Amino acid sequence: MPMQNKLGVAILAAALLGVTALPAAAQKSADTLRIVMRDALPNIDPFYNNLRTGVVMHHQGWDALVYRNPDTFKLEPLLATEWKLPDPTTIEFTLRPGVKFHDGSAFTADDVVYTVNLVADPASRVSTPSNYNWIEKAEKTGDLSVRVKLKRPNPAALEYFALVLPIYPKAYREKVGAEGYAKAPVGAGPYKITKVEPGVSIDFERFEDYWAGSPKGKPAIRKMSVRFVPDAGTEMTELLAGRADWIWNMNPDQLEPVNRMPHLQAVRKESMRIGYLSLDAAGRTGADNPLTKQKVRQAIWHAIDRKAIADKLVTGGSRVPAAPCFPSQFGCDAEAAVAYDYNPAKAKQLLAEAGYPDGFDVELASYVLPQWGSSVQNYLHAVGIRAKLNQLQTAALIQRSKAGELRMHLGSWGSYSINDVSAIMPNFFDGGADDYARDPEVQNWLLQGGSSINPEVRKEAYSAAIKKITEQAYWAPLHTYVTTYGHSKQLDFTPYPDELPRFYLAKWK
Amino acid sequence: MSEPIAIQAPQPSSVGASRIGTTGFAIGIAIVALVLAAALVGNALVPQDPFVQDLGNRLKPPFWMEGSQAGHLLGTDQLGRDYLARLVYGARISLLIGTMTVITSGLIGITLGVLGGFFGGRVDDFVLFAITTRLSIPVVLVALAVVGLMGSGLGLVVATLGLLLWDRFAVVARATTMQVRNHDYVSAAWCAGASMPHILIREILPNIASHLAVVATLEMALAILLEAALSFLGLGVPPPLPSWGLMIAEGKDYMFFSPWVIMIPGVALLVLVLGINLVGDGLRNLLGAERLR
Repeated sequence: MPMQNKLGVAILAAALLGVTALPAAAQKSADTLRIVMRDALPNIDPFYNNLRTGVVMHHQGWDALVYRNPDTFKLEPLLATEWKLPDPTTIEFTLRPGVKFHDGSAFTADDVVYTVNLVADPASRVSTPSNYNWIEKAEKTGDLSVRVKLKRPNPAALEYFALVLPIYPKAYREKVGAEGYAKAPVGAGPYKITKVEPGVSIDFERFEDYWAGSPKGKPAIRKMSVRFVPDAGTEMTELLAGRADWIWNMNPDQLEPVNRMPHLQAVRKESMRIGYLSLDAAGRTGADNPLTKQKVRQAIWHAIDRKAIADKLVTGGSRVPAAPCFPSQFGCDAEAAVAYDYNPAKAKQLLAEAGYPDGFDVELASYVLPQWGSSVQNYLHAVGIRAKLNQLQTAALIQRSKAGELRMHLGSWGSYSINDVSAIMPNFFDGGADDYARDPEVQNWLLQGGSSINPEVRKEAYSAAIKKITEQAYWAPLHTYVTTYGHSKQLDFTPYPDELPRFYLAKWK
Repeated sequence: MSEPIAIQAPQPSSVGASRIGTTGFAIGIAIVALVLAAALVGNALVPQDPFVQDLGNRLKPPFWMEGSQAGHLLGTDQLGRDYLARLVYGARISLLIGTMTVITSGLIGITLGVLGGFFGGRVDDFVLFAITTRLSIPVVLVALAVVGLMGSGLGLVVATLGLLLWDRFAVVARATTMQVRNHDYVSAAWCAGASMPHILIREILPNIASHLAVVATLEMALAILLEAALSFLGLGVPPPLPSWGLMIAEGKDYMFFSPWVIMIPGVALLVLVLGINLVGDGLRNLLGAERLR
């Protein structure tokens, strides 16, 4: 961090505080936690967006069958009191009695069967099919018991049930329909949603009938308002001006200066998220585009100084993953990966060998912090690849990516905090909408790895996939994320490594 | 209320005004000359490359602040690129866009204005129609739409601004041509058998050129500001080219804690536009004095 102009900061702080002293002091008394985020949520329905913002929201407003303890990563009962696995493709859940949804209706096996069957059905067109395509069906075995059949064994199945399978109220959702549900969603979580303005704001209020004894606990703060702003700069302005009590994924360069502000606090925690550069190896944007050539892709991997980006830009202990997955995930075998050092001269040579001695023009779409995108752009320019940076909103980029329109894009993937490569590699390599490699061999290995419960068989399959992916330089993992949070000093907030802010555990000091 | 006793007063005050005017003119010339020099030879004098990033040396403050680095007089930006080198390169882009825009818009505007003013009648009706049409179009909105639809780029920004900023040239050229066309030397040229192009180019144009020069300075300043605005919105000069507007945009996320990243290009922009306007004012004063003689 550079030395700061302390006087300037002091004057600025004084000015901002002076102007906004009233709202800054008022939020605690109003018992409203004001959250500002920049990844606007087009649809709050948990299965119809694949933004982290969506995961965060559904963990406040909905409950799943299983809870993963954020400290120990152990699975605990939530809406299911217990579960059994009589064979590798069957899970039997016993459900908790006396749980109510926000609309007052009782939680029963029908709700679970409805939700699981809906997301497992390809016709439902959920946003992340690879999260659910291993489920065959759910069937009711009693008022409070459900049997779920799997198409193939999934060792991480219960983690998926904990993190990405919140339960719908069947009667209500069938009554209002998918669109009505997105406008006025109902769940069984600690907070109920009182108002939704898609892409603008979401209001929450504590659910007073939330079941006692939940590991999530009854929220201490009564109201939450989530507001979406277009960029990181605006987010920071809102925090400094006292119009926001909590922001995250802020620019890490601002961690120290924010900590010097008398009324603010900034903290960070490494998460399971990795930043990546997707390359259109499959030719989805044009059959013979430069990125379909292996040497061009390898040149790109050599052109970017990933270590410098992790150490100097992301900071806070960010690492460069060798394989296309988070290092701690099961099956993420760094040994199997082909290593690419930072070597611009070699990159230029590879480009020349591939038939592009003068480089080429390409669009580089991005939703990561603008300066991170610019640094990648500069590295590419340095070897002659004239990348044009196109900064987009997250949801807009994902839409274009799924449509197969992005030749090159920067993004990040948090694996839904599931500590298994099945939560990341299939999304980018199983032939689905986010797959820009379209390699049948890799698809096959991922299927093998995802459908066995034998750890050795799984490891072998994933290692083979990792070797091929890195050899072919399909999809470049750039750095792990260290999530930076900024919040009011009046707020008692604990960040967890699973990148799920738990507002129901936050309280005022 | 007061008695008319201050009749002699205008004399000294107008002398004072003209002195201020001349000083302003000199300052303006000096600023523009300085920026021009920076644009032409600056990158030869500044050793750093404006495009090379050095992530280990990010956000170093300029020389007057604590923690500055010897090699980076104006510090470095969020990617560790030398700020002075980028500023100097940015001057080149600003002046290039200003000049090219003025040339394009001047050609269009002066041609239309002179033709309308000289021929009158139907031709003038058409020119007036073109001017009113152009005046009813909001420049920034159209520029945003065009650049948004066709993508950003240096050439496109120049073309868009050049095709939009010709109205003042046309208005002034038309009005002054109307005054000049009835002067005796124009009639004399007619009698001497001069051709129409000769009269337009050799008789009319030189006599309205001084007024057009003033317009040119105003338009140049405007074009530079508009380019900065478009670049700030991400629709002008594409990164990594260091346009001043783009530098401000890239620095805006840092303005709370590293304010110099927007102050330096902001001040540069202010000074250049001020300088060009001072030159314009000075020219106008000089010409006004000439007319009185």
